[in-house]
Amino acid sequence: MKKIYIKEEYCIGCRLCEIYCQVKHSKSKKIIKAFKTELDMVPMVTVEEIGHHSFAVQCRHCPDAPCVDACISGAMSKNEKSGVVTCDDQKCVGCWSCIMVCPYGVIKRKLGEKKIASKCDLCQDELEPVCVKNCPNEALVLAEEEEKDES
Amino acid sequence: MKADYLIIGNSAAGLSAAESIRLLDSHGSILVLTEENFKNYSKPLITYYLAGKVNLDQMYYRSPAFYAQKNIMLCTDTCIVGMNTEKKEVISAQGRKFSYNKLLIASGGIPVLPPIPVSGGGLLKDEMKKIEGIYTLTTLEDARRLKKYIEKNHIRKAVVLGAGLIGLKAAEACLELGLTIHLIELSDRILAATFDHKASKIMEARIEQKQGRIYTSNTIKQIKASQGTVEKLILADGKQIDTNLLIAAVGVRPHTAFIDAGTIETERGIIVDKHMQTTAEHVYAAGDVASSTDILKKRAENIAIWPLAVMQGRVAGMNMAGKRQEYGGGFFMNAVEIMGIPSISMGLSGPQESKDAEVLTQEDGSSSIYRKVVIEKNRIVGLIMLGHIERAGIYAGLIKNRIDIGNIKENIIREDFGLIQLPADYKKHLVVGEGIEV
Repeated sequence: MKKIYIKEEYCIGCRLCEIYCQVKHSKSKKIIKAFKTELDMVPMVTVEEIGHHSFAVQCRHCPDAPCVDACISGAMSKNEKSGVVTCDDQKCVGCWSCIMVCPYGVIKRKLGEKKIASKCDLCQDELEPVCVKNCPNEALVLAEEEEKDES
Repeated sequence: MKADYLIIGNSAAGLSAAESIRLLDSHGSILVLTEENFKNYSKPLITYYLAGKVNLDQMYYRSPAFYAQKNIMLCTDTCIVGMNTEKKEVISAQGRKFSYNKLLIASGGIPVLPPIPVSGGGLLKDEMKKIEGIYTLTTLEDARRLKKYIEKNHIRKAVVLGAGLIGLKAAEACLELGLTIHLIELSDRILAATFDHKASKIMEARIEQKQGRIYTSNTIKQIKASQGTVEKLILADGKQIDTNLLIAAVGVRPHTAFIDAGTIETERGIIVDKHMQTTAEHVYAAGDVASSTDILKKRAENIAIWPLAVMQGRVAGMNMAGKRQEYGGGFFMNAVEIMGIPSISMGLSGPQESKDAEVLTQEDGSSSIYRKVVIEKNRIVGLIMLGHIERAGIYAGLIKNRIDIGNIKENIIREDFGLIQLPADYKKHLVVGEGIEV
């Protein structure tokens, strides 16, 4: 599967990835509305920053995804064909087991009317994820995963 | 009936094993046995069902077509009461025999009932079936019966015996159904097994804010019933509570009543090796019934939590299908939101923490935010997060991988703690990924 690779040496901490992600996953798809009225929205990519050092991180879509194992409702699943890990909003009950086990800390709480887990869906309806597409510096790159020796 | 792979238990561990077997062996027959009369459903969701937050259809965490798609046979209403490892067969309460090439015991836990006398003679465990209004809450059938009882009899008050995780989720569900709640706990605080004193206090304050009553260091001395229904509880300290509903949630223990004790050894659950095999050949165990490596306590432990059940089931399944796979061990962890307070606890974070441990805490009393990290020899061994639980999994990764955090201790409790503060090698492993150099 294609994965997002993080190039921390190119990240300048501009947070455009967060903004594009939040707008893309909003109901309105409009930047002002997304930020001023859809108050339960959270970006599914997170920029971490200390001084001049920064990088953006989102779900790694792990091969043996711990969040899928931990999910008590069957909301979290890994697509057998695409490898993409997604959370079904309808099924999620907000138990936070996924947050407990994700070693990357990239699953967030979406605190709307119904509290649910929120995570990167790799923008499957786009040619490439909006965080990658709109990064001005190629600090996020979509590339085919390197084959790993199974043994 | 005979199956190549026989699995006792149709929940997290059993189904995870069935799936992993099917991935490796597309032809071998897989037969899953369950004493319940449902296809798979999520046991942790039963209190959500009770509260009316999920309906029956949402209880199923695999689609109804799952068994057919994976070519897995399922026998419901099949309670196993005995087994013979020499003949390689198990026997059901109805006298049906099932033989196997490989057997997985994933029978989970059964509720513990304290020996409380009930007016009219017997003890709780014997009288429960005869008296209305007393429930345990570990199966969907329990939840359905309880929900019907509350609705039909317009119950307004629930007494929950045992303020552990099940007890509190049960109490929360009752609260959401409009009942007043009374919690009785033997320990001096609620959630004593998973929380420390401070965290317990925060949760107790929330319950009291919701008009819930808590009776700690207390238990039920006697249950009084009249006309076949529970009516009054007499507590150890002499207090009396009038109620028509008692939920007994003092805990669960591994369901091992049917095992062949001559060949299958137990200690806090069925003992398994790294391959999840029991002391009997061709017999494996996984999930809440098993006792396996606790990497923090460094001994075999029965850690009855969903994520480990899934993992153990998968490892057991692989080994049963002939692929040697080792289980790396685990440690206790739990995530739960109760009455609006999200919480995550893991490892040795409460009463079990050692005296040499370094404890870092951060709190904001006004907003129910509390965080605590327990460190031993520069390794994190325990965590409690209340209110603000984001990124808790990063700590789980640090615990699991035994990462030396000596150089980043000052950052570890910060609210904005993230991957960027991690030790360089571990951060590189997580962020940049294998095989790619910065």
